[in-house]
Amino acid sequence: MDTFKKIDFKNRKTRTDEETTDMALFVRTSKEDILGWNRQRIVDALVRETYIDIDTAEEISKEVERQIIDSKITVVTAPLIRELVDAKLIERGLEQARRMHTRLGVPLYDVDQLILHPNKENANVPHGPEATNLTLAEVIKKEYALLNVFSQEIGDAHMRGDIHIHDLGFIDRPYCSGQSLEYIKKFGLNLPNSLSIAKPAKHPEVLLAHMVKFAAALQSHFAGAIGWDAVNLFFAPYLEGLSDAEVKQLAQMLIFEFSQQAVARGGQAIFTDINLYWEVPKHFEDVPAIGPGGTYTGKPYGYYLEESQRFVWLLFDVFKEGDGVGRPFFFPKPLVHITEKFFQTPGHEAFLDHICDVASEKGNTYFVFDRGNTAKISECCRLSFKLETSDLEDAKEPWKMRYTALQNVTLNLPRMGYLAKGDDTKLYSNISEFMEMAVQAHLQKKAFIEKLLSLGEKGPLALLTMNKDGSPYLRMHRATYLIGMLGLNELIKIHTGEELQDSKASLKFGLKIIAHMKLLTDKFGKKHGMRFVLEQSPAESTAYRFAKLDLKYHSPESGHIVKGDISKGEVYYTNSTYLPVSLQVNPIERVRKEGLFHPLIEAGSLTHIWLGEAKPSKESLTNFVIKTFRGTLNDQVAFSPEFTTCISCGKTARGLTEKCTYCNSHEVEGITRITGYFTKTSSWNKGKMGELNDRFRNHDFLQERESDVINLR
Amino acid sequence: MTQIKGFLETSFVDWPGKIASVIFLPYCNFRCPYCHNHGIVLNPDKYETIPIEYVLTRLNEFTGWIDGVCITGGEPTLHPSLPEFIRKFRVQNFLIKLDTNGTNPNVLRNLISNKLIDYVSMDVKAPLDEIRYSKCAGVPVNLTDIRESISLLKGGTVPYEFRVTVVPGLLKEDDIIELAKQLARADKLTIQNFNPSDPLDSELKHVKPYNEGELKRIQDRVSKVLQTPNPQPTTLHLI
Repeated sequence: MDTFKKIDFKNRKTRTDEETTDMALFVRTSKEDILGWNRQRIVDALVRETYIDIDTAEEISKEVERQIIDSKITVVTAPLIRELVDAKLIERGLEQARRMHTRLGVPLYDVDQLILHPNKENANVPHGPEATNLTLAEVIKKEYALLNVFSQEIGDAHMRGDIHIHDLGFIDRPYCSGQSLEYIKKFGLNLPNSLSIAKPAKHPEVLLAHMVKFAAALQSHFAGAIGWDAVNLFFAPYLEGLSDAEVKQLAQMLIFEFSQQAVARGGQAIFTDINLYWEVPKHFEDVPAIGPGGTYTGKPYGYYLEESQRFVWLLFDVFKEGDGVGRPFFFPKPLVHITEKFFQTPGHEAFLDHICDVASEKGNTYFVFDRGNTAKISECCRLSFKLETSDLEDAKEPWKMRYTALQNVTLNLPRMGYLAKGDDTKLYSNISEFMEMAVQAHLQKKAFIEKLLSLGEKGPLALLTMNKDGSPYLRMHRATYLIGMLGLNELIKIHTGEELQDSKASLKFGLKIIAHMKLLTDKFGKKHGMRFVLEQSPAESTAYRFAKLDLKYHSPESGHIVKGDISKGEVYYTNSTYLPVSLQVNPIERVRKEGLFHPLIEAGSLTHIWLGEAKPSKESLTNFVIKTFRGTLNDQVAFSPEFTTCISCGKTARGLTEKCTYCNSHEVEGITRITGYFTKTSSWNKGKMGELNDRFRNHDFLQERESDVINLR
Repeated sequence: MTQIKGFLETSFVDWPGKIASVIFLPYCNFRCPYCHNHGIVLNPDKYETIPIEYVLTRLNEFTGWIDGVCITGGEPTLHPSLPEFIRKFRVQNFLIKLDTNGTNPNVLRNLISNKLIDYVSMDVKAPLDEIRYSKCAGVPVNLTDIRESISLLKGGTVPYEFRVTVVPGLLKEDDIIELAKQLARADKLTIQNFNPSDPLDSELKHVKPYNEGELKRIQDRVSKVLQTPNPQPTTLHLI
């Protein structure tokens, strides 16, 4: 790609310009080489990379040469020459050529910062050489995406912050993936480019090893989460005859393997979700079970209820114990499906108490509510793939159940509000316009991924094209395209002056907007023959990015709207359709009100209950979970406690404190849930820190009289 | 009429198994040095009075969700109109849990026999001797009343728990074990950690509470001592 890369300097006989023959100028190329000056390289690069004619190229090269000679420098770098050439292109109004001739890269200062300081965009990335590699690659791929995958219009919309295209640094991968263990149980581990081929596992430990390796392979082909369906059920045929201690050991191995995969891509733990069931889900009951060696056991999955229950119980025993020093596991995330059948399955009371105990103690449990006949695979921070009739047909051969969301684009809802200036018609037209941009972004990404996939087993996504059951691993026809939303609460405030919870009217207005968006996704879906679905974007960094950009473009108005602490730069918007985190609202109201939005948001929603340091009674949580299932339309809840772990003494205590409650050391780290997973708070970005300070933890209930508060000041 | 000084709409902590609202009533006849609600004990006028109508309206918005109301304080049994107050929640089918220090066995007996309460949580302060008890309660205490309340609960029909707040320096671990022995065969003795953020006796701000590990160890010892024919685990309770 470099200007000076491909030209053989020494063997070049003809010098086109005598003037430069004895020029004592050396060029540092990106090939780790120092070459003498040769103007022709500029011409060659311009002709090869852009559409301009050779005469213009000659002219530009001479101008650049003159400039360098006049500057009297003796060593120049290839990037500098390229910049000088680009400046000449701009002078001539050759904007398109300049784009094509752009060099992607990172300023020295930035690289220095990256190597020295942790990445705060994604708290799941630790700091280290591998992480730096990941970040640097992301920076370049992000630029590549904005220049070469997306149109200028869409790229600009992203840069402006009208929309946020997630994981641009992972432009050459789909967003996330949900699958079934049955695939590796049936086909073994036979990955393109791998050095050896493994037949289907005969032992549970080997199946686990295959699962971990396959997850790592998938992680390097997807930007985000890797989810697994009904893990306890699909392990069950391997567990017959094992003692409880052996199964517990396996549970421990599974959890530790996934929580310690910090050696994988970019030093990043695999964002793993395991879907778990107490019952045998209806759609798997009569499905023939695959057992050791990839062969059918001759029994349906319904037969394995007991083994499957034993495994899930012991998995939660391990979650309850926590890691070697009692901290909660960050990954894998256990998602327990609460269904009608759950309540008809014997022992569900004790199991619910057990997982609520873990929720209270460590916070791990996610309660996923599948009401009526709904069935889904959940993953990521809240994403879920709702199973349709065709999927339930696929469930008869569960290895076919492979789902992907190709990309996630989040809309800046407050931005729509600033632009509408209180005019309803304008607001709705903004919604359509922003949605249209998101749809365009999806079409462009889809075209790009399809191009990569079309290269087949020689291409970069060979793994996703492997075909073992009559269709490629990545089933594009079943892909979904996520449209997320951010800051509904703030949009309502801008447009009506009230926040979401302030009145029935504002809540209703919020619902109307989301319903309208849902309608539009369906419309666009029909038009393009694609599945556009709304999602509550986790928006770990987007909440911060949009707030910052709106402070830039929509001040002073935005100054009254963004949440957090402007003076410290800790600003954010409220996530998706949430009520503000600082709102003094009890958990009942939160699950009820937030739950009203969930049926409209097909690709997944979640309500957080921030517990702070309070440790609720597990029985009370059980009570609450049942009432949430029965009495609301809420999709998913998680309870988030906070912890402080001490670097000096290694102990972990509840609550976020400045010093260790055991040894008084100040060397402590806070741990709590960021958007949809646990991390150390030290890795959080500024916006999320602002949110953490604001989170209402159900504590303040004594109100000092206003007059006294004033007196005290 | 009884004034409400604090209202926590939902709690998963105060009443195991229930989703409960918590109502704080002012005044107390104890001055426990570690009290963290001393604002409504010493200067209740400093706090807004929340109209009971408001509380009832809010509770009604959560019909089917909130199972019961915890009445705490301060010391609720100091209010002569307490039975009448409780009835206002009773008629709306809320269960009632009473937090008390046990200094008014007659009020307690009256509430139980009139079926006004469904659960009692009684704070015991120290082993049952005047010196240590009075030290922990901050005022001279008539132990006869305390003993009467204890046996009333142990011999009665209403589910109950005893609770003890542990402050290093104020109670030694052996004191807690001694107390557990004195309460032998009680249903439950919950160890409650002390919260140093704003205690009544500001000296205690500098006292470091027991950490989770120590608390759990004490709790395990207490559980062993508190052998009952129908054992119920003593739970760790953090405030």
